[in-house]
Amino acid sequence: MAQDLVRMEHITKFYGRVQALDDVNFTVREQEIVGLLGDNGAGKSTLIKVLSGAVPSTSGDIYMRGKKVDIRSTTDAIANGIETIYQDSALVTQLSIARNLFLGREPVVGPSFLNRMDYATMNQVAGELLRRVGITKNIPTTTPISALSGGERQAVAIARAMYFDSDLIILDEPTNNLGVAETRGVLNFVRNARDRGHSCIFIAHNIHHVFQVVDRIVVMRRGQIVADNIDPKQSTVDDVELVITGMTDEELAAASATPAA
Amino acid sequence: MEHQSLVRRLIAKPEFGPFVLLVVELVVFTAINPTFLSPLNISNTLVFTVELGLIALAMTLLMTAGEFDLSVGAVFGFSPVVMWTLFNQEVMPLELAFLVAIVIAALIGLVNGLFVTRLKIPSFLVTLGMLLVVRGTALFVTDGFPQRTWNAGDQWIAQVLVGDFHIGAFRLYMSLFWFIVVAVLFWYILTNTKFGNWIQASGGNPNAASARGVNVNRTKLILFMLCSAMAALAGIISSIRTSAANPNSGTGYELEVIAMVVIGGTALMGGRGTIVGTVLGVFILRTMRNGIVLVGVPGLAYNIFIGAIILGMMALHYGLERRHQAGN
Repeated sequence: MAQDLVRMEHITKFYGRVQALDDVNFTVREQEIVGLLGDNGAGKSTLIKVLSGAVPSTSGDIYMRGKKVDIRSTTDAIANGIETIYQDSALVTQLSIARNLFLGREPVVGPSFLNRMDYATMNQVAGELLRRVGITKNIPTTTPISALSGGERQAVAIARAMYFDSDLIILDEPTNNLGVAETRGVLNFVRNARDRGHSCIFIAHNIHHVFQVVDRIVVMRRGQIVADNIDPKQSTVDDVELVITGMTDEELAAASATPAA
Repeated sequence: MEHQSLVRRLIAKPEFGPFVLLVVELVVFTAINPTFLSPLNISNTLVFTVELGLIALAMTLLMTAGEFDLSVGAVFGFSPVVMWTLFNQEVMPLELAFLVAIVIAALIGLVNGLFVTRLKIPSFLVTLGMLLVVRGTALFVTDGFPQRTWNAGDQWIAQVLVGDFHIGAFRLYMSLFWFIVVAVLFWYILTNTKFGNWIQASGGNPNAASARGVNVNRTKLILFMLCSAMAALAGIISSIRTSAANPNSGTGYELEVIAMVVIGGTALMGGRGTIVGTVLGVFILRTMRNGIVLVGVPGLAYNIFIGAIILGMMALHYGLERRHQAGN
């Protein structure tokens, strides 16, 4: 069995008096794709925010390859090889593709006091990365993000994670608002990421998308992990829905049959 | 086909509209009154244009980062008062007084920046408050009277900042040289450097910029300090040229400067800025002010034209932005 890449132990998070995470233990192994599922308010977004440094946990520890790490900011997370791709891609729409890809880690050329960005390298690398993530259209890397479609924006965010060779890529609802072809591109990327040695956490409301790419499914409910080793090859979407909702077959069938008020 | 695409790309640039407007102004005013392009008129117009222009250049960077500064007009009046008071009272030599005035202005910018970045108060409110504090201090210190500056001519620093020279029939001031240097420097910073990328990211999507490790707060703090320091430099240059450090000078300049920046194509909400556009915006407004007087329009009607230009340019920039986002 592959080694643990990330291990979160006894993670608790309070927002004021509301407890969002309750003693959560969560593991992602090397070259593993984990689907993180749960209803709205289950705690999956909070768990991801803690791991990506967006919010601090109230208590608990995080280990990377067995070594305890202190993740207090997104910069800390990036430095530890954790890259997060959010629903809105976290891109600056006014900046070009190349300038977004290298934002915060721009290569410079010439004397250091001139602080001059190496546009030639940035554009060349950006072009290669776009081809690797499946953008075959001839889009100049100087194009601003605002001129790209939703799928192309996701591809740019994904390309960034690939270039900086992150160990763990967290995809938070990456297929939201995407067309069929664009969704297929994102799912292909996730499969390829594993082959290239990356691990991924894949969060999506569309369980069918999760089933297509993940190795293991983890389900959260009311701030706790209620199942952490569901094999998608030996389970059905219906099985997982039962775990997510915490209902029995009959309860779920009754709830589905009840017309909305 | 390639030629057509080049033309379309040129038209889509935010600087294209202001450039056309400036050319139209020059043609119309010259056609009505040929003295508009006389060396004397150009020399006179340039003098004050570049003083306001220095502030507009710094304001461009600040607005690109998503903030603006309403206290620049007050700092424009306050800083020369500080410098000349220190010098006239024989507290320190003029060179040192100049440095002290610039440093105090930068500290004013630092306070503005700290309020905005740490307390998360909108820059509109913070700098409005600072405007009143700074203007009030200048009036209180001087009892409302201008400080004498007529002994500045002997000082080397006055020559470096505002010394005049002739090129043919044109009488030009060193302030024009400084304006060009600052414009080239800021253009380079915004378009070619890492810091320029951070400025645009800080204004465009501060959360995304922070997530990528950009220190958004520090970027904004530096720009607030730069903006105040440039307002101080412009005020000092103006005080030497006019031989008066009036605590009331600079009133209303903040809005004129912001108008120059916005007309040039910099986005009011941040994320997109253009130094070339601001230079055009500076000349559009100053040319308009000069031109309408020369063609006989009452000076009091100036604001009507400025308001119309701002509205027209906003509509143009908005239209171009929409086309751009639609991929046309």
